[in-house]
Amino acid sequence: MSALFAQWIAPARRRAFADTLALALPPLSALAIIGWRCGGPMIAIWLTTVPLAVTFIIARRRAARFDRRWLIRSLDTRYPELEDSSALLFADDAPLSPLESLQRRRIAARLDRGAPQELIPAWSTRPILILGLLAVALIAAALLWPRPGEGPPALAPSREGLPARPGIPRLVAQNLRIIPPAYTGLPVRDSAALDARAPQGARLEWTLRFDPQAAAPRLLMLGGQPLALRQDGANWIASRTLDAAFLYRVDPAAGRGPTPPLHRVDAIADAPPQVKALTDSLTLVTPGQRNWSPAFAAIDDYGVAANARLRVTLAIGEGENVTFSEREIPVGGSGPPRNRRFAPRLDFASFGFAAGGDMVVQLIVRDNRSPSPQAVRGPSLILRWPSPKQPESSGLTGMVNTTLPAYFRSQRQIIIDIEKLLKQKRGLAPDRYLARSAAIGGDQQILRGRYSQFLGGENEGAPALPTADGEAHGDDDGHDHGGPPVAAPSVFGEKEDVLAEFGHPHDESPASSLDPETRAILKQAVDEMWQSERELRTGHPDAALPYAYRALRFIKAVQQATRIFLSRVGPELPPIDASRRMTGKRDGLASRLLPVAPVASADGPAADAWRALGDGPQAIRGPIALDALDRWVRANAARLPDPLALSGAIDAVRRDPACATCRVKLRALLWTAMERPAGRLARRRPADAVGMRYLDAIGGAP
Amino acid sequence: MTPERIVALILCLAVLVASLRLLLWHRAAGAQASLLRLALLLLLQPLAAALLHTALFPPTTTAGTSSLRVATAGTSRLAAAAGGAPLILLPQAPAIGGGEAVPDLATALRRHPGVTSLTVLGNGLGPRDIDAARGLTVQYDPPPLSTGILHLAPPPTVAPGARFTVGAILTGLPTATVELIDPAGRVTDSAAPDRDGHVLLAGTARAAGAITFTLRVRQDRHIVEQADVPVRVEDSARPRLLILAGAPGAEVKYLRRWAIDAGYDVTTQMSAGGGVALGDAPVAITPASLRRFDAAIVDDRSWTGARGALLAAVRGGMGLVLRAGGPIDGATRSQWQALGFGLTGPAGVAPLALPKADAEPVARTRYGIGSTEAPIDIATPEDYLPEISRLAMTPGGSGAVPLLRDAGGATLAAWRALGRGRIALFTGIDSYALTLTGRRDLHGDWWSAMLDSVARPAAGIRVITNSGWTGERMTLCGLSSEGRVDGRVRILPVAGCGGYWPDRAGWHELNGKDGVRAFYIQPANALPVMRAARDRQAMALLPATAASRAATMLPDRTGAAWPWWLAWLAVSAFLWWLERSRTGRRAAADQSAR
Repeated sequence: MSALFAQWIAPARRRAFADTLALALPPLSALAIIGWRCGGPMIAIWLTTVPLAVTFIIARRRAARFDRRWLIRSLDTRYPELEDSSALLFADDAPLSPLESLQRRRIAARLDRGAPQELIPAWSTRPILILGLLAVALIAAALLWPRPGEGPPALAPSREGLPARPGIPRLVAQNLRIIPPAYTGLPVRDSAALDARAPQGARLEWTLRFDPQAAAPRLLMLGGQPLALRQDGANWIASRTLDAAFLYRVDPAAGRGPTPPLHRVDAIADAPPQVKALTDSLTLVTPGQRNWSPAFAAIDDYGVAANARLRVTLAIGEGENVTFSEREIPVGGSGPPRNRRFAPRLDFASFGFAAGGDMVVQLIVRDNRSPSPQAVRGPSLILRWPSPKQPESSGLTGMVNTTLPAYFRSQRQIIIDIEKLLKQKRGLAPDRYLARSAAIGGDQQILRGRYSQFLGGENEGAPALPTADGEAHGDDDGHDHGGPPVAAPSVFGEKEDVLAEFGHPHDESPASSLDPETRAILKQAVDEMWQSERELRTGHPDAALPYAYRALRFIKAVQQATRIFLSRVGPELPPIDASRRMTGKRDGLASRLLPVAPVASADGPAADAWRALGDGPQAIRGPIALDALDRWVRANAARLPDPLALSGAIDAVRRDPACATCRVKLRALLWTAMERPAGRLARRRPADAVGMRYLDAIGGAP
Repeated sequence: MTPERIVALILCLAVLVASLRLLLWHRAAGAQASLLRLALLLLLQPLAAALLHTALFPPTTTAGTSSLRVATAGTSRLAAAAGGAPLILLPQAPAIGGGEAVPDLATALRRHPGVTSLTVLGNGLGPRDIDAARGLTVQYDPPPLSTGILHLAPPPTVAPGARFTVGAILTGLPTATVELIDPAGRVTDSAAPDRDGHVLLAGTARAAGAITFTLRVRQDRHIVEQADVPVRVEDSARPRLLILAGAPGAEVKYLRRWAIDAGYDVTTQMSAGGGVALGDAPVAITPASLRRFDAAIVDDRSWTGARGALLAAVRGGMGLVLRAGGPIDGATRSQWQALGFGLTGPAGVAPLALPKADAEPVARTRYGIGSTEAPIDIATPEDYLPEISRLAMTPGGSGAVPLLRDAGGATLAAWRALGRGRIALFTGIDSYALTLTGRRDLHGDWWSAMLDSVARPAAGIRVITNSGWTGERMTLCGLSSEGRVDGRVRILPVAGCGGYWPDRAGWHELNGKDGVRAFYIQPANALPVMRAARDRQAMALLPATAASRAATMLPDRTGAAWPWWLAWLAVSAFLWWLERSRTGRRAAADQSAR
């Protein structure tokens, strides 16, 4: 029954769906094109996604309107031979009366004569047509709309502020087009002013108009070659690549008219990329680790190249037998160009990285500047695979500082574990409870071993166990030991092994330097631990708890006593025996001159000009010779905070020596361009005759 | 007997004789005599005589007022309109009208002789008028000072590259911020005033020349007042410095480097023990050989050997800086205490509290551009602080002047005079660590401050830091002979001081036999509060004596004679007419005619 219904309803539904899509397609494509033109493909995609989803929802709604009632109604209207009984065909599966069944059979035969396609609603042609036409118009407008930087530039009126003189050409309109290098991805931009800031390497195109028409206008670069303008219809054009910031002026009349003001074009240099490590600078290999993924983030103002190189330095070996190897591997980055992420996966096996080795990686990224991309090396990250052998403790101080607090923590941890186990006792199976208890007992044993090391290892050995249940228990028996203690034994235990390997160090024991009282307390602590361990191993953690607490108390006491006893002391050198000084061989020892090369420093032209521009005694009111200063500024451009501004100010003063504000401005800039000599001596004034007599009288004449 | 009395006697006699003649004539006239005429004539004759006398010797004027009100700068219209004595408007007074405008107070007093008391309104009389008011009773009720810069103390002569300090006192601005702006317009220091309004700001000099910094007072983001801070940077002759050290070390090395860079002619002597000396060509340490040095820096180990010669040289004018190379022994301590440095405190070494480095933008304004030999190395407040220590004892004492203090307030250096020279004691140890951690400026400031204080004095340009304003008289003192300002204006000193009326703001130089003195003249409208406060102080210092001058001056003043002459003429004419006329004689004439 539903098959029949589906067969009859599907074409109509499909048509309704398609019709809705056909209606929505023209506006959507217009929207996409406008978005793409205005903001690029990403914007276009964003602009279309949401409306497209809405369109689909509407289309489904519209299709859903073609339901059973509509079908029955349409069939009855369209096919009179169905005798208004088509409802019977699509009736529910409810049992029909015999009459109904009969009628249904009759109609079903008649229905086959019709086709479902006949019920399809017509396309909404006119709206589609109108919307399509509208969309075409919109798309055409969007495509043909002039974008900044395309086509002939619109000239802006000039603001040179020069008086008009008959017969002398004057700049009346201007435009400066800035075409950034392609790799920056920046759009072409038109600047109405002749001063601009542009990325380094950008192409600058001037379009200028003069009134009256100029004969041979030029762009005069301050301290550079002039740039001739080329006539292009009514306008004059010139272009140049921006390598460094420069100052220039538009000279329309070959120096005949008044000197026009200076304009400044600043070059924004491409910043080298910055690499930041997202991983810690020192990582330790965790047991079972097979590879390492150090992560770096690289940012750049225009974009980081997607492929970078990773320099991997391996230091393999131990002690004096360390070999280094270095190699570079290509790595690919992910993320947007301006903020890429590099997380290469380094397989230990492929590098031959083994325990006791260090792996140092450094990311070398390039930006996409062309030509000559800038390469930057990131910070080095170190992966250390600790040697199975622990480095020997160099002195007692280190041990006091690091290991004793760890012991302390550890005994407390055992208590915490026991209490946790007692809490969970009810929910645990007896064998599991025993196993957990024995595991804690194992931890306690390790800890006891560590302390007995201080006592010369005399308390070695496990307590006698009534059963052998706990013997098979180990770290990897498949159950959880609950948090920190899992990691702790791996550190402590190794030290234990080291001791065991070297036998029974009675006298070399660090504890041999302990005073007898501390030793006694420590022994008590170890005894308590032994008791605690025995109870744990036999599956009585509740009985072990008091012993563990007592052990903790003793350890605390030991710790405090030990801390005082083992306080850090510097090396005590023997006193100098003055009688033995200078009694050795003194051949070749004699007085020597130690010359110091003085740094030649002079005020320089900046200070001269500074004084001349001021109001002090060396001030010059009239024109000032600024050539030396100009040369100095050019030669020392790298040291100066803003050499271009200084050059501009020099030019302004030279052009108009009477301009007071120009002089003030130059003087202010010169202040920032002067060296500060090391503080000279300011002499105090000598006393006069009376003062001399007074000083002689109170101080005693020589 | 004065002529006046003689004349009076003669006139009295004449009147007596004339009256006698009239009476006789009247008796002889008989019937013709008219009593009225006789009475008139008898009355008019002494009158004419009296008038003649007064015409000849006009009486002293007692007319006019004895009190004036003088409006000075900052006079309020309300105070001027209060009425009372006549109002005098000095040129500084605001345009309040309703008074007599005079060019100065002396003119007003000439116009109003007999004035014995003045009521001064406004900020007080300026230097031009204050002398004219001496000897008069002056009533002055100062108005409250407006807020602003009460006093500005620019630095005296500054050496090139040196750090200098500008002091200012603010009034009525407890929450203001004071900024020192360098000539490039950058803020080089800023501070908030203390409770009394005092504030100290520091800047750094560059090459020699005249600089104008700007002191700006801000409150709640708007500028309350700003004033020019004139700074005169002057180089001096190359000083000679002797560095004596008991052992070679980093401190000596960096000290030597700094001193050579700072333009000293340095001779270094480092003893390496056993008679081996390192450094420059050896010099004998005798009073005679030390005479050619301007200053010496000596450590505690070399001090013991050279003590006598050094002290003799200091008495002759040399400067001596004593420094400790480490904890000092008891003998050195007692020797240094004997010099006047009360070395109190425990023996041994204490850590030195370094001041926090300036914020980066401020620090950048303090440094110039770097050079290839010494690139700029700016320490930031976050940077690692070098470990520098000092002697735990502090060189205080009543005879020593503290010179340097560390951030914790402990005295690091102090100086005291000995004969013509000075001795400074520096307790810092290993100050060279500053140069290695980006605090080269602090190292230089410390040693500069010590050597500036003690080095042998020398004549040079002197800066007079008293403020002067254009269009206002200022007094230049300490002159022993005639001098010239800017080569144009002669200054003739009276009792060592001469007056000068500057007409141009900016730097001026006074050249004379005593050397060159430079002074800065502020524009007329600069620092109004400071100027008002100065005038007010001068007013307060006026002696409160009574009108002594008026009493002695008045008799000398004679009034105008012409009214008396006129009166005498009129009376005489009337007399003449009366004598010649026939009034009162008509009856007799008629009788005789008949």
